[in-house]
Amino acid sequence: MTAEIGQAAIFLSVLSGLWAIGFLCFGLRTRNQNAIQSGRNAVLATFVLVSIATGALIYGFVTDDFSMRYVVEVSSAAQPLLYKITALWGRMSGSLLFWLWLLTVAGAVVIWQNHRHTKETNDTLSDYALIPIAVVQLFFIILVTGLVEGVYNPLARFPNGQMAPDGAGMNPLLQTPSMAFHPPTLYIGWIALTVPFAFAVGALASGRVGSEWILRSRRWTLFSWIVLTIGITLGGNWAYRELGWGGYWAWDPVENASFMPWLLGTAYLHSVMIQEKRNMFKLWNILLITLAFQFTLLGTFITRSGIITSVHAFAQSDIGGYFLGFILASTAGVIGLIIYRWRRLKSANRLESLLSRESAFVLNNWLFVGLTLIILWGTLWPIISEAINGEKSSVPEAFFNQVVIIPGLLLLFLTGAGPIISWKKITVNNFQRMFLWPLVIGLAAGALTWGFLALIKEETSLLYSVLCVAASTFVIVAIVAEFYRGAKLRAKRQETSFLNGLNLLIQRNKRRYGGYIIHIGIVILYIGIMGSKGYFLLESKGLRMGESMEVGQFQLTMKDSFEKEFANYRRTGVVFDVAKNGKQVGTMEPARHFYYKTGQGEQDTIESAIRHFGVNDFYIALGSIPPDVKTGGVVNVQAYYNPLIGVVWIGVAVMVLGGIVAIAEKPQRSKDA
Amino acid sequence: MRKQRRLKVIAAGIILLCGMALLVFVGIKRTSVRHFTPAALVTDGNKMNNQQVQVDGLIAEGSATWDAANFKLTFAVCDRETAATVNVIYKDRLKPDNFTDGGSVFVEGKYDATQNLIVASKLMTKCASKYEGAESATPTDETSYISE
Repeated sequence: MTAEIGQAAIFLSVLSGLWAIGFLCFGLRTRNQNAIQSGRNAVLATFVLVSIATGALIYGFVTDDFSMRYVVEVSSAAQPLLYKITALWGRMSGSLLFWLWLLTVAGAVVIWQNHRHTKETNDTLSDYALIPIAVVQLFFIILVTGLVEGVYNPLARFPNGQMAPDGAGMNPLLQTPSMAFHPPTLYIGWIALTVPFAFAVGALASGRVGSEWILRSRRWTLFSWIVLTIGITLGGNWAYRELGWGGYWAWDPVENASFMPWLLGTAYLHSVMIQEKRNMFKLWNILLITLAFQFTLLGTFITRSGIITSVHAFAQSDIGGYFLGFILASTAGVIGLIIYRWRRLKSANRLESLLSRESAFVLNNWLFVGLTLIILWGTLWPIISEAINGEKSSVPEAFFNQVVIIPGLLLLFLTGAGPIISWKKITVNNFQRMFLWPLVIGLAAGALTWGFLALIKEETSLLYSVLCVAASTFVIVAIVAEFYRGAKLRAKRQETSFLNGLNLLIQRNKRRYGGYIIHIGIVILYIGIMGSKGYFLLESKGLRMGESMEVGQFQLTMKDSFEKEFANYRRTGVVFDVAKNGKQVGTMEPARHFYYKTGQGEQDTIESAIRHFGVNDFYIALGSIPPDVKTGGVVNVQAYYNPLIGVVWIGVAVMVLGGIVAIAEKPQRSKDA
Repeated sequence: MRKQRRLKVIAAGIILLCGMALLVFVGIKRTSVRHFTPAALVTDGNKMNNQQVQVDGLIAEGSATWDAANFKLTFAVCDRETAATVNVIYKDRLKPDNFTDGGSVFVEGKYDATQNLIVASKLMTKCASKYEGAESATPTDETSYISE
């Protein structure tokens, strides 16, 4: 019965979606407050209806209703409760429903956030923004009704009252906490980007293309940025711990799909500052947020349409076409509105100098957008190359690694230069006061790195390491000096201690200093990437019991093996004595899990062992373990030394912290409008 | 003065754009790898001698041997439609999960036309699993890459 209620709710939400769009358009056009209110209520009704449908599906999972097709595909009776619930987004039709539900939450929150302001001032900007939100919702509602080809309704039952004895179960690789939370985090981040996009469209539709739409959706943008940052990192962290290849980022199409909206969102967060401060780039900001939003859909198109093969185990299906159609149609709509409002979008000011903060922002934007396009080009290269000369080709990880380094280093330099360069035009005074010391110290650090690497005869990635260290040092000195100067000034003015001054400084301008904290996080992240991508060591060897191998300063000796039975899998592994520079440091127990029952039948997975030495990791993965391992059978061992990988996670944590500081700033209302 | 400034901005933009385009162009030139089916590679083989190729096919039944002591996997990839096969050596890496006879496989490496052999640097297996999205409610084959 529950499933039928859920299905009915989905079909009703088609009506509430249409109702919302119709009444909002009509009400705003004719300034009819009752119609507008009715439209708002319809958006809330959609939220309630989709919540019922989602609840019904979760109920199906929890009660093991194996007459429901989707439940059979992703769950099983023995699956732990947590993974029964996360099975909601385990496959396509369920994840579309989940995505839709998040969108309806966003719609409801937008109404709730704005209702007082709207009531007091009769301001309709947020109502205009509800229309695009409702349109995107309707697109997803239609997909989950199951009426279009290629997707089935996640609440559908098998025909003729058929019932499966048990479900197929979720892929064991996905049954880990970080994988349970990685997809929803990304979804939340992507969906949050819908709101600033909707406000941009609302601004165009209402003709109020000043900074107000930006300010009123600012927290959504920052929230999206923070959540995407966490989500992308969770994915990398999961891959690192679970997949057994010792890395965390491989430029896989799905990873790229999550990274591109992040890049565009970051560009947008920067470029809006110039619109607020200097009233420039009105058009550019609208284009940028539109692009960022479209890339969240494009990601789905790339990963779900099967046009690009990927490490990620997604099914191929026909829904790519719908997404592409929706992307094209909605982009055309935005372009139409831009043409309609063309005259209002002209900038009041122009760039005054190439060496100014405005230019630094522009360069930042070009680099972010450029990087996005480069990554898109590489990701779509199999299609592009086939279109160009009929030969299907693709580019490996190395392409991305090579191509992003130079723009990446330029961006790193800008994280320090941007905050300290003066507005309008750099002056000699500004340069001497702000740039001189950071530059000198940065260059010195670069030179020292060069000397050090030459001394230990480490020649891999020498130039890039030197540049990375030099730029990083420059940024850190520049930004720490900013904090120091500001805090000292505050302390002096308020006649209080330096630390109090620092606290006051951040409290008074959370957005700015939160941003600087993010910049410090970026530098830390770069150092981590430099170490773990540039200097990792890998050794592979077949070992018999008692034999040893060496990886850099580490020695491994295989001394024992073990086997344990669990409810739904068997764990077999070996025990290594690990020594660093000849000194015993402990044991490690890499293993393999053999799952009896999974979505894919029986499955054997790598359970790597990781040992942290400060921020450096030592990592062991095993091939399958022969039955005669105790009596001379060979085990295949792949061991990695990943220097500075811990710094990667620390860098991201600092970035998130900075984001939280920045989002704490109360939204202001702008006077323009 | 104003015009000149504008020109400078445009010039800077063009330089940046060209720089990025150059990066991409050189990157693609240096790293792009052509994709083949085993049948196409066997027919076109001599042209691709000593070059990087990607091949997508099935693991030929009974062709795989795994020399654990030397960390060496040898097998043949056969075409999905014809009888053409290409031999593969994959060394110094773990045998991927789900490596089973008849399974789908994706191989990247250097092709030696004289021996019809790919020395693989990258190997991905796909595993058969339940399909979703299609109209039928019964399990059929689906392809999904699992490990590298």
